[in-house]
Amino acid sequence: MTILLLSGIFTLAPPTGIQAYDTPDDRGGSITIEWQLSSNDVGIEGYEIYRSEDGVAYEMVGFIGQGRGRYQDETDDNREYYYKVAALRDTVRAFSSSSQPVMSRPQLFDLGATNLFIAMIIFCSITLYFIQTARRGKKFEIRKIAGLDAVDEAVGRATEMGKPLLYCMGVGLVDSIATIASFNILGAIAEKTGQYETPLIVPTSDPVVYTVAREIVKESYTSIGRPDLFDSDKVYFVTDSQFAYASAIDGIMLREKPAANFLVGYFQAESLILAETGAMTGAIQIAGTDNVSQLPFFVTACDYTLIGEELYAASAYISQQPLLLGAIKGEDWGKIVILSTLLVASLIGLLTKFPILNLFR
Amino acid sequence: MKRTLPLILVFIFGIMGIVPYYIPHGGYQTLDNMVRNDFLRILSAFAIVLGLGSLMKVHIDKIKKHRENWPYSYVLIIGFVVSGFIGLFGGIEGNGMLPTSIASFKFDIETLYLNIIVPLGSTMFALLAFFMASASYRAFRVRSLESALLLSAAFIVMLGVIPLGDRISPHLPTFAQWIMDIPNVASKRGITFGIALGGLATSLKVILGIERSWLGGKE
Amino acid sequence: MKILEYLSTLDRRIIYLVLAIVVILPLIFPSIQRVRVMDPVGKLFAAIDAIPDEQILMLDFDYDPQTQPELEPMAVALLRHAFNRRIKVAVLSLYVQPLGLAKKALDQVAEEFNSQAKIRADSIVYGQDYVFLGWQPPPIVPLLGMGISIAEVYPRDYYGLRTDSLPMMHKVRNFNDVGIIVCVSGGNAPIWWVAYSQTRFGVAVGAGITSVYASELYQYFQSGQFSGLMIGMKGAAEYEETVASSLRVSGRRKATEALGSLNAAHLTIIIFIIIGNISFVARRRK
Repeated sequence: MTILLLSGIFTLAPPTGIQAYDTPDDRGGSITIEWQLSSNDVGIEGYEIYRSEDGVAYEMVGFIGQGRGRYQDETDDNREYYYKVAALRDTVRAFSSSSQPVMSRPQLFDLGATNLFIAMIIFCSITLYFIQTARRGKKFEIRKIAGLDAVDEAVGRATEMGKPLLYCMGVGLVDSIATIASFNILGAIAEKTGQYETPLIVPTSDPVVYTVAREIVKESYTSIGRPDLFDSDKVYFVTDSQFAYASAIDGIMLREKPAANFLVGYFQAESLILAETGAMTGAIQIAGTDNVSQLPFFVTACDYTLIGEELYAASAYISQQPLLLGAIKGEDWGKIVILSTLLVASLIGLLTKFPILNLFR
Repeated sequence: MKRTLPLILVFIFGIMGIVPYYIPHGGYQTLDNMVRNDFLRILSAFAIVLGLGSLMKVHIDKIKKHRENWPYSYVLIIGFVVSGFIGLFGGIEGNGMLPTSIASFKFDIETLYLNIIVPLGSTMFALLAFFMASASYRAFRVRSLESALLLSAAFIVMLGVIPLGDRISPHLPTFAQWIMDIPNVASKRGITFGIALGGLATSLKVILGIERSWLGGKE
Repeated sequence: MKILEYLSTLDRRIIYLVLAIVVILPLIFPSIQRVRVMDPVGKLFAAIDAIPDEQILMLDFDYDPQTQPELEPMAVALLRHAFNRRIKVAVLSLYVQPLGLAKKALDQVAEEFNSQAKIRADSIVYGQDYVFLGWQPPPIVPLLGMGISIAEVYPRDYYGLRTDSLPMMHKVRNFNDVGIIVCVSGGNAPIWWVAYSQTRFGVAVGAGITSVYASELYQYFQSGQFSGLMIGMKGAAEYEETVASSLRVSGRRKATEALGSLNAAHLTIIIFIIIGNISFVARRRK
């Protein structure tokens, strides 16, 4: 008994069940080694990982702390490797047996992303189907969006008062979807203000956004036959520093006293600073963003707010282009798919809570 | 051609951007890395030049034509030139070609940043607290049952996230946490689903060239 | 009734003045407030504390001057935690603006530790205990590129040294060697780490955010995509409290000091809302 106990202290059990395999779903160059912990795991420092190309001469390639049974080794592709793992206590090492030879290879498809891939295909197909349906001539209806109907009122009021309109696209970059949606609305508003010769001020916070916005305003004036109305001093780049931009816009609001402010695009913490200053000047304010955390501020301080999707739908709503309306119909069906999946999953989840219905577990 | 070429480019790069999520193969990942790493960086550098050009043009015009508040444009231009000069020749921490201190007075970019930009930025952000107070005073009115519910939820969360709430009742922070956890998350998820799908549809429309507003102007 | 008339047309400047006073007073006469550590902060602390020796803590300090008062205490508390527990740290920023502030926090905490170090082994050494990777635009480059190779995205660190020549980085190749990334940001950056880096490379992500963003980012904590979360001044104070009480690290606790102002400001706004409603209801009755 004593001898047994002592040998338990002095001998060190090696890790067992060593397995080495090509790390799945990766770009190659990596082999994963797994093992069962040594039965003396608690008292040891950790595990040393040894590698060999011929199964005879091993070199140490890595070390991992106690309690962990998995290591990823960096390798050359298409070359056979053997692995051993040693438990280490002070200077004592207990080696496992050698693994089967293993080779690393790059994978062509990430199987772990299959669900993502299928979801993408489903939603894209739905959208494409409805766009195609629209192309074949089916008409889709879109519900009224108060914020967009108010555009006429805002432009009208600015014209009556002889004051300019301010169009602010926030701090989003050109790849932000809110910015793309904002471009659509800008085009429509530029056309309307052009018809009444009401000045439109568009200060931007990103150089690329600025270039696009300038083209949009210019083209919109051209499309109503008034290219002479375009003034390059009214569409300009201010700064990409968030609050410097906010203070510049506040300054414009207080100096020029625009009759209407459009705050449409991607906004961050500057949303309320802009909206509240606008409210102080008494302008009609129409806001829209897909940044959920800023929506409450806009709802509080503005007259109309386009919430998330309504902003995306704006381009379809204003242009009434059948293809764009078709895409919105596609979104609706996408939502139905998500909602029904959620409903079914929640039901199954709930049912497993009842012991009698362990069937689903 | 002026319109076709950008549409073709958007289609190609749009698809190229999706693929690396599903193909882990090294060769493709390297290509993807090159597009994102090198191409994108060069492109953003050009855009910055473009934007600064516009800013300068507007302000130089303003000075030339003596528009309203034109003297302030001098402040902007001088600030731009001076900080650009210091940044280029003086280095970030005063380790550039030219010296950035006179005796104990330092004017390297880091000092300028910490002593000008930092306090100015903090001041603007701090204004938020005041605007929140005045906006909530004006707008938070009990007009209906819904707004009464909203108001009470707001009170609970506002009290729950300060130490005082814990002193009033230890259940208050827990209840505030529950409001954040359950009703708040539920509604936010609803909006997020819509935004995600809308984003997907918009991206698809841009890649396929159905949505072209970003090209400027009408068809 | 006159007072109700007055209240209903209350000048916003009076609201501003009252708020300014109640925020400033507790800062001049501070009183230490005790905080209860809530679940999101507790989990973040535990996740960082559990980083094994062969992995590092990656900190994305993306707060700018505007959000510095709310977020810098988080950065400082995180660094104190890591340095005290000898967890190796790599710091970076996705934007250029926060760089100066990130460096300031690093310098400050390293100095705190080094000034108290009695022997060489106690001091915090650049390159061995922490690195400052700096900034590589645009954000998408580090978010995705570091999953493959950190040294490829940051060939040189903030100070222009070769990244792979720094002792700490010898064994750090990519996200596989990162225990958790904690993003301290006043914007959307924490979501990007989840959307790009976590989705594609499976790395754990935690966040420190302003209270304005709490309602939006909270869902990612609930879903487990954030391993932990610090929200606003109170979250920062909770982390300070955890670091101070469980690791006995001393140093100024700015977030805890500011809790008095937070208390007062919230109460004032609540009172104003109540006053606004009383005058509103009274006028409607008339």
